[in-house]
Amino acid sequence: MKTNLPVLTGIGSVTPYGPLAGLISAERLEPRAITAWTTTELRRAFLVEPFRAASIVPGLKTRRLDRLSAWAVVAASLALRDAGVDLNLMDRSRVAVFFATGFGCVELTGAFYQSAATYGWAGTDPITFPETLSNAPASHVALFHDLRGPNVTVGCKSFAAESALLQAASLMRHGQADLAIVLAGDTLTQAVYEWYETADLLSPACFNNEPASSVSGFIPSEGLVAMVLEPAGRLAARPYAALGAGRWAAGGDTRAGVRQLLGGGLPDFILCAGNGAPCAPSPLTCSPRDLVGADATIFPAQPVAAGMGEAGALLHLLLALSQRPGSGQALLLGTSAHGGYAALRLELF
Amino acid sequence: MIDAQKTIVVTGIGVVSPYGIGLSRLQAGMLAGQCCLSPVTELYPGFQGTVAQVDALTPLHDADRYSRSDRLAIMAASDAVADFAGYSRDLRESGIVMASTVAGLTEIDPEISRGAAEWYRHGGLLRAATYPVSRVAASVGECLDIQGPSCAVSVACASGATALVLAANMLLDEAASMVLAGGSDALCPFTLSGFNSLQALDSEACRPFDQNRNGLNLGEGAAVLVLETLDHARRRDAEILAVLRGWAMTNDAYHPTAPQKDGLGLATCIQRAIEMAECSIDEVGYVNAHGTGTPLNDIAETHAYERAFHGRSRPIPVSSTKSYFGHCLGAAGSLEAAITIMAMRAGVLVPTLRLTDPIESSQVDWLRGEPRRQPLPVAMSVSAGFGGSNVALVFGGYRA
Repeated sequence: MKTNLPVLTGIGSVTPYGPLAGLISAERLEPRAITAWTTTELRRAFLVEPFRAASIVPGLKTRRLDRLSAWAVVAASLALRDAGVDLNLMDRSRVAVFFATGFGCVELTGAFYQSAATYGWAGTDPITFPETLSNAPASHVALFHDLRGPNVTVGCKSFAAESALLQAASLMRHGQADLAIVLAGDTLTQAVYEWYETADLLSPACFNNEPASSVSGFIPSEGLVAMVLEPAGRLAARPYAALGAGRWAAGGDTRAGVRQLLGGGLPDFILCAGNGAPCAPSPLTCSPRDLVGADATIFPAQPVAAGMGEAGALLHLLLALSQRPGSGQALLLGTSAHGGYAALRLELF
Repeated sequence: MIDAQKTIVVTGIGVVSPYGIGLSRLQAGMLAGQCCLSPVTELYPGFQGTVAQVDALTPLHDADRYSRSDRLAIMAASDAVADFAGYSRDLRESGIVMASTVAGLTEIDPEISRGAAEWYRHGGLLRAATYPVSRVAASVGECLDIQGPSCAVSVACASGATALVLAANMLLDEAASMVLAGGSDALCPFTLSGFNSLQALDSEACRPFDQNRNGLNLGEGAAVLVLETLDHARRRDAEILAVLRGWAMTNDAYHPTAPQKDGLGLATCIQRAIEMAECSIDEVGYVNAHGTGTPLNDIAETHAYERAFHGRSRPIPVSSTKSYFGHCLGAAGSLEAAITIMAMRAGVLVPTLRLTDPIESSQVDWLRGEPRRQPLPVAMSVSAGFGGSNVALVFGGYRA
């Protein structure tokens, strides 16, 4: 194990697989019929089943929170538990929280608009407003665990989760944090789903009971994954992977960028992040085979993670790790139909 | 001996403020003591308050595709790189880190909650597409044809300063050779209503750090700084406006909206930024404060300065420039960084307006009255926000 690389030591998730610590049983999921809001005909998506957060994280009160904030605290708690980190032994002002999201707290944002529609802008709810901010989930993680280090929320067209992983690792490399909890996720609401539908982006599998694998296109998903990064070397740690170099770009030549990152060395595994894959394939994207030839084992993007769009890469990574690919060099690779890419080298243990 | 590959410098500043486009307009207005805050009533039915607005936006091709926050960001970024002659590969491969808290909320109205699908079919589809905060950064990239790493930041009112920190780290990582970093936020009923519901707004022009302060005013604007390594700036013979000598981020982990009363989290942040800048507390000649004008923020911030600058040989000069054009939310940190650099280069410390009865502190030198002219080799900009985030930036001058 290279000791100078941040290592991934804990995973927690709240996804359509449920709230879980560590790896998950990565059986293929099918989308479910939406019942959270009224639909005139069948509409399907990958949804998180309601659960009682306090049964997983004792003492957690979620009544006033956006589901995304509640999931963030639950997933972060599960990831810390999985890592076996004792925060009491750490300088909490050097523990960072780095959160990636596409839409932020869209549920309570919708509720705030609802209150404005009902009572006028002069009659909105003061308790709801601060919980609409995109950084509310990350700040609730800090508040619950008394984490006083950097607390950052980012969005990034197609590659939010990858950029959060890379930037959290950067904080650690530059001595600005000793440990980082990286989170990425989004909730699915009626307004978001109907935007996809009106924009004609949805897969036929959203409208019938065909298996998701038999049709192309985008099936909306929701969930949140948290990962603990810490320096290598803690004796009790059971690391999943070490994070190496990485990069992302909004455009330019994907092949050249990824090849430069690889520096002539080819990975044993490609873990496809498939962000942007929701939309149709494009000449701008390039296949993993183009980059690394025939030898690498490729873990394709899965619909349940692709449906989370720009926040989906941590779920892609979790699903790939859950298939226990074995040890070796891996490349987490995301490409976008709009151009651009994100690539991160990993050493799997 | 400085390491030119690890030294982050500022080589461009673009500003859109209620004073107009450009740092020179902002500087002229502020040094003249001109306040842009004015009473308004038309922002939504029932609203009576004081805000600062940007008068006119630059015409833009396909303007419907962009939110008002996007357009302010595009204008500021264009201003920041206005001196780049013709096509530049450097610019094309640059990174972008743009902060916003409002983003496309400016384009969405409450009617969406009565039936989203219907609202989308009647013209809302394109408007709603501007909602994700990432759109602000992506819009700058589209309009300036920049293809490097792009990222948006949303850390409430500390967003703009956070963007500068992330950009500096990207440069240290060699993720890009230059990064355009800053923040942009437009006024909109959503945020006005939200802050009004919290009773955080002063209906008159705000009075930061005054004992009779009564809340904040909202403003709008954008600022974008061009950051690069000293090594890269020298190679392209760029004018160096300032050195970003140190930075730090912390979180209070105290309350969703209220700052930590004793200012401990912010003081730790300030101390870490000074440590990184490798300067003493006596060398910092000015702090551009967060200074919103709310009762809770300003007293907590004062306690933070008393802690962080304890032992200093003379009181630390502090002012809040939100007294000129309000709180621009996600843009505030980058606008205030631009003002801090402006103060250093002009050798002028700008006072807080309407500060007649300041919070009592023997360790803070509250700047008020006339601008104070003095050399300013090192200065600091401080930001804080809902969710407890704090950011401190230390800037220094550059001598070749």
